[in-house]
Amino acid sequence: MRKRVLGWLCDTALILYFVFALFPIAWMVILSLKPADQLFSTYFSFSPTLDGYRTVLGDSEGIPFVRFFVNSLVVSVGAVVLSLVVGLPAAYASARWRFKGSENLMFTLLSFRFAPELTVIIPLFVLYQKLGLFDTYVGMVWVLQLVTLPLIVWIMRSYFADLTPELEQAALLDGYTRKQAFFKVALPLVKPGIAAVSLLAFIFAWNNFVFPLILTSNEAQTVTVGALSFLGGDRPKYNLTAAAALVSVVPPLLLALTIQRYLVRGLSFGAVKS
Amino acid sequence: MTGTGLELRELRKTYRSRGRPSVDAVRGIDLSLGSGELLGLLGPSGCGKSTTLRMIAGLESVTGGDILVGGASVVERPAQQRNIGVAFENYALYPPLSVAENLAFGLKARRRAARGDVERKVKEIAERVGLTGLLDARPAGLSSGQKQRVSLARALIREPDVLLLDEPLSHLDAAQRDSTRRELKRIQKDLGHTTILVTHDQEEALSLADRIAVMKDGVIQQLGTPYEIYDSPANVFVADFVGEPAITLLPGISGGDGHARLSDSVRIALPVPVDRGREVVVGIRPEDVRLTAEGGLPARVVAHEPLLESGLATLALDGVERHLVVLTDPEVRLAHDDRVRVAADPRHTHVFDAETGEALR
Repeated sequence: MRKRVLGWLCDTALILYFVFALFPIAWMVILSLKPADQLFSTYFSFSPTLDGYRTVLGDSEGIPFVRFFVNSLVVSVGAVVLSLVVGLPAAYASARWRFKGSENLMFTLLSFRFAPELTVIIPLFVLYQKLGLFDTYVGMVWVLQLVTLPLIVWIMRSYFADLTPELEQAALLDGYTRKQAFFKVALPLVKPGIAAVSLLAFIFAWNNFVFPLILTSNEAQTVTVGALSFLGGDRPKYNLTAAAALVSVVPPLLLALTIQRYLVRGLSFGAVKS
Repeated sequence: MTGTGLELRELRKTYRSRGRPSVDAVRGIDLSLGSGELLGLLGPSGCGKSTTLRMIAGLESVTGGDILVGGASVVERPAQQRNIGVAFENYALYPPLSVAENLAFGLKARRRAARGDVERKVKEIAERVGLTGLLDARPAGLSSGQKQRVSLARALIREPDVLLLDEPLSHLDAAQRDSTRRELKRIQKDLGHTTILVTHDQEEALSLADRIAVMKDGVIQQLGTPYEIYDSPANVFVADFVGEPAITLLPGISGGDGHARLSDSVRIALPVPVDRGREVVVGIRPEDVRLTAEGGLPARVVAHEPLLESGLATLALDGVERHLVVLTDPEVRLAHDDRVRVAADPRHTHVFDAETGEALR
């Protein structure tokens, strides 16, 4: 009996939290479906319309949202790919060998996440202006390494550390090179980890606001900043901002759904060993 | 026969890490294995036996000394070029691959084997170690004994010059251990690989090895056949480490008359003459003492454990602090505080110098 009451209490608490968490999203959906002249009506009856989405995706307000969307994709995917290329060998090396300064190096990498981005943004802005990286893909991919690289290196490091080194040693004895042992033995075994950490890194990169806000103006601007453009001008168009925000939720969501299979295994961060 | 001799000369390994005292894991080991010989490297954990094995395999750098395979030094060569097979303690099987793929994985490294050749060799080795029915299974679905056989097959399939076995039976349960041990012996004799078996389990070493090297603190304490190690241990450590149930070691003082005094009233015969007044340790194996009706030494029973096929009695000799352990016949029944008499055969008694621990012969 007590158990059942406890179960109900838990369920109720979960439902309450669920409502609390989903309410803003529901509100956004409603907002995005409202016609422009009924935006500020507080009751729920309105004539739903997809005009908002049409405007956002159709470039008709003079705001190239589709391009922002593509920019976001290019920049986020680029940042994750670069971080994987650089970060996986780094994570492997730091998990397998202790070399001079290895721990300091790893700590430095982690420290990129300590300070708020705002504290470094002004010097970065000046640097980017001088180097010609301002408002470019390269510049954005590069600066997003501050976000994605520490994440990928630190999480993948624990994955590699959990692999028993004998697997690679056996491959070495068979005549494989170090490189082959890494690519053929170690890497395939941490695939779930790579999937999970890539998604996380992608979401962080995709959601980043400060870097594109200051370091891009138009060419490389991303959805997070771009969605705000609809609030400018003589009258804030909340319905368009809502539609834009909802559209920009789609890629991370799709990605999460496609690799869900790996996520459950991957997000346990190697805590459960086989 | 594919075996090749293996020789270790003055092999040393020192671990140095900044800010900490350096550790001498292996302190100058000399060993020589004939072709096809199986040598057991026996010692407690931390004695340097695994480090020695890893140095031979090339997985650990060498601080000093030389390793020769078939007469040629391999110290400068990386692990890939040494052609040494290792069966790891934790099997190191690749989980996503089937047994056959695991076996083939090792052959594909050098790209010298054609596909048909690989398949033939996989089948051949699988037959040898009794894995034919399991070739399509994944490692996760195998028992520990089967995993160990796959691991062994994987080491053997490349036809290595030297085979290294790292605690091959330590993760098996008792029943599997016996059968796998017999298999291991048969396969090794069959294929004739020069083999080093690293183990902390004396039973494993005694039953498998042609010769045993007992190691402690990075030094080989004694090298010899299982019988030599058991019958004439070189020092107190070897005597104590080898033998189950363990030897009883009793401190005493030599009387110079072929006897040692263990207490005011207890004297025991020594196998060799020892100078009068010298402090010694007398070692008596439980199986070398028997209960007797007359003569011998009086003792009081402290405990008696019936082990069905035999019994194990713990006895207190008068005035002697350490207890004497005696293997008894199965029909013997003893109770606490019973008075008995025991006799030890001086030919099977061991005597060591109390200070150095070395055997006196």
